[in-house]
Amino acid sequence: MENNKNCYGRRKFLETAVFSGAVGALGVGAIISSCGRKKSNEELGLPPMLDHAPDGRKLKAGLIGTGHRGTGAAFNFFGAGPNLEVTALADVFQERINTCRERCKKFGIEIPEENCFVGFDSYKKLLETDVDVVILATPPHFRPEHFKAAIRNKKHVFMEKPVAVDPVGIRSILSTAKRAESLGLCVITGTQRRHQQDYIETYKQIANGAIGEIVAAKAYWNQSHVWLRTREKDWSDMEYMLRNWNNFIWLSGDHILETHVHNIDVINWFTGKYPSSAIGYGGRHRRVTGDQYDFFSIDFDYGNGLSSHSMCRQIDSCADGVGEVVVGTKGYSICTHNANKIYNFNGSVMWEYEYPKSDDDPLKQEANSAYIQEHIHLVTAIRANQYVNEAEQTALSTLTAIMGREAAYTGKRITWDEIMNSDQRLGPTEYKMGPVNMEFEFPVPGTPINV
Amino acid sequence: MSCHSHPQANQSWKQSTHYDNKSGVIVHCVECHLPPKGKGHLLAKIKHGAKDVYGKIFKDAGNINWEKRSRLEYAKKYTYREGCLKCHQNLFPNALSTDGDDAHLYYTQHHEELRCLNCHLFVGHYNKAAIHASNIEFGKVEEISSEVFTESARVERFENFIEKIPGTTVSFEMNAIPDGSFNIGSLDSESFRNPGEGPVKTVKISKFWMGKTEISWNEYLAFFNATSSEGRKEFSKQMNNADVDAITGPTPPWGAPDQGWGKTTGPAITMSHYAAETFCKWLSMVTGKTYRLPTEAEWEYACRAGTQGPYFFEGDPRDFSKNTFINKLFGPDTTTINSYVIYSINSNGKTNLPSEVKPNPFGLLNMLGNVSEFCQDWYSPDTYVSYNEATIMDPRGPADGLEHVIRGGSFKNDAADVRCATRDFTKTKKWLITDPQIPKSIWWYSDCAHVGFRVVCEYYISEKK
Repeated sequence: MENNKNCYGRRKFLETAVFSGAVGALGVGAIISSCGRKKSNEELGLPPMLDHAPDGRKLKAGLIGTGHRGTGAAFNFFGAGPNLEVTALADVFQERINTCRERCKKFGIEIPEENCFVGFDSYKKLLETDVDVVILATPPHFRPEHFKAAIRNKKHVFMEKPVAVDPVGIRSILSTAKRAESLGLCVITGTQRRHQQDYIETYKQIANGAIGEIVAAKAYWNQSHVWLRTREKDWSDMEYMLRNWNNFIWLSGDHILETHVHNIDVINWFTGKYPSSAIGYGGRHRRVTGDQYDFFSIDFDYGNGLSSHSMCRQIDSCADGVGEVVVGTKGYSICTHNANKIYNFNGSVMWEYEYPKSDDDPLKQEANSAYIQEHIHLVTAIRANQYVNEAEQTALSTLTAIMGREAAYTGKRITWDEIMNSDQRLGPTEYKMGPVNMEFEFPVPGTPINV
Repeated sequence: MSCHSHPQANQSWKQSTHYDNKSGVIVHCVECHLPPKGKGHLLAKIKHGAKDVYGKIFKDAGNINWEKRSRLEYAKKYTYREGCLKCHQNLFPNALSTDGDDAHLYYTQHHEELRCLNCHLFVGHYNKAAIHASNIEFGKVEEISSEVFTESARVERFENFIEKIPGTTVSFEMNAIPDGSFNIGSLDSESFRNPGEGPVKTVKISKFWMGKTEISWNEYLAFFNATSSEGRKEFSKQMNNADVDAITGPTPPWGAPDQGWGKTTGPAITMSHYAAETFCKWLSMVTGKTYRLPTEAEWEYACRAGTQGPYFFEGDPRDFSKNTFINKLFGPDTTTINSYVIYSINSNGKTNLPSEVKPNPFGLLNMLGNVSEFCQDWYSPDTYVSYNEATIMDPRGPADGLEHVIRGGSFKNDAADVRCATRDFTKTKKWLITDPQIPKSIWWYSDCAHVGFRVVCEYYISEKK
């Protein structure tokens, strides 16, 4: 990790973002209905929300990235319905495979030794096995390449959010998404609020006009510091960064993508739009490893007077909270963990989501888990021939977060066209364990004052 | 085939991928040359049918310039996007490369500005010069046995000289342009005059040398081969280079920048304004002189060469233009203009060699027509308004701007637009519309084949003494 300014190119991003095409937001279009008739779930593009996926031909899944989330996703797939198996694993670290394999065994899933692959190219070997579905759960940096390979090998995909860390990766996801569509391959992404009953019901309220026209929004994910790993002496640069990936921009995209993309995605979903530009701030006060910021505050401009304030922070002993506020002409909604409500402007509750009571069937509660719903949706789409592809919407929400990140890093106003057409690509071009020739100064916006 | 007789087009079709392909599928004429049924099929059939009947009776198919007809602006009129998309429904087939993915994603995001043809022009009629790839072989010069110059021209007096590019066999002529004053712009009374051409101001110009012809491929390829870079980034490349005197030149172009029109003494085209400026820097470095693009005032001064009319030869644009009522009926008078200018009437839709025309009074060839020429000035419609003194010396145009001045008109223009005073400017975004790279090339315009440049050399002998 030497001082050599050739990897993280903030300056490069601005130099080259000159040519902007007429890309604009590829939005789904606002679906707010002012007429009396309530729109159906299908018209609103909502998932089927079943207790379990229908039975059918056996589907085998391979897991790429066998950490906690990956292993959890494998269990979620396995638990989504009958005749589902997890048959192959891939990761860069052998002991991660071992741990995952043991946990799978306790869960009743036996994965043969010959289907476990280790190394940076392990995903290629996994894709050569006879799996039908792959679960992509590595650090986000690798997602575009893995998604491309998975679709080229004709696998259905579940992939975690965010789906890329830079605009080059986003464009790769967008074209691969179109290929997936042409091949009839289903894609579900891990923006699980879209598979959460409380959010779905709130969305239906708003789409059917409960709060009138949307005029403002706020999204926030403020929490304590996240996990980190300090370097052990036999670790190379690459191994250290991979084991501490949640703290390096090139691997995670920074936490405005890695976690806050959930909330940003909800605002894009509820408004039916993507922002045209962003201005914002951020900084690094308390982080101890890596090169990321620990707070961001971004104003996303959705045009016609609508903007969303987006904030995220990972600092201990501060005001915390995670959720989304959407303000309309007739009222406003607040969605937080286990509380989704719509209010009148006098503060009284207009509507609230009724959560299942604790004495309800525990199995049904389990099915209500959005993590499982995502996989129920994927398997249902494959078996019942109800095509689904969430890659583009999640790519565009990830790009929204990248636009906000770059606005904070550079201090500039960043437009959608600029970010969509940027040649920014983060990280090394070659992946191998060993020294990495990168500079890890964290971004500072603006220019110094000359005294 | 019955009604339509055009053997040239039949042959190139049979050699194209729409006839000769792996799968043995043959795509017939009307599948591309008429829109699908229900999408304007009948109307287009009537329109094209009427045109073909007219052609059959009054024209000889052998005289039709098929090469010109196969260029993008013509091809767009005879083919239909809906026709392409009727068969090519999947723009992201699994066999498509990652570069292809990027290009098609770009198309899906810009489909209002782009046609399939922009990138796939020769898929229906084979053209062996067409290249649909990064042209890394471009500019390779075969070994020539003639003399390789070891030094540049020595210039002792202010007179015409032949510049020699050291280390190459390439030389070109520079004409001495005496100092003097002239009236820049055109009067309101000039036919086809545009508003930006005035008000007329008197301008003094110092002496300089100017290239007798537009920079040809010979000179441009000498530069390309000496400096061309594989990397995309001018500045990062320069900074990493230990040799601070080195100039980083163009990347390999996409496709064929010469459009298959030859790469010898004809004008070099499709380079960006930035590339033309870099050429001048390089030429200055290797010759030890000061070369640059002309200012707009120098250009018009050299073009007029002491004359004050619409052209540097006798005649009125109204007589030469085909865009007047009378001339549309009886055809324009082309006798005088034909011998001085390569323009839409006599160009065959492409650049011509400089030997095809007679010089202006300063001995310069193709100041009007053939290719439009870059000037170093930024463009503003109010340039002459800002010349506020009665007589000003060597004006250099606005301090900054978005696009640069181009002058002189090209092989595409009507006589009305190849006047001495006609002003135009670069259109960077439009000229790069089909470049799928991000960022777009700073060296080559993907969509502009009618602009080149000529160089001026600053007068320096007096300063040396």
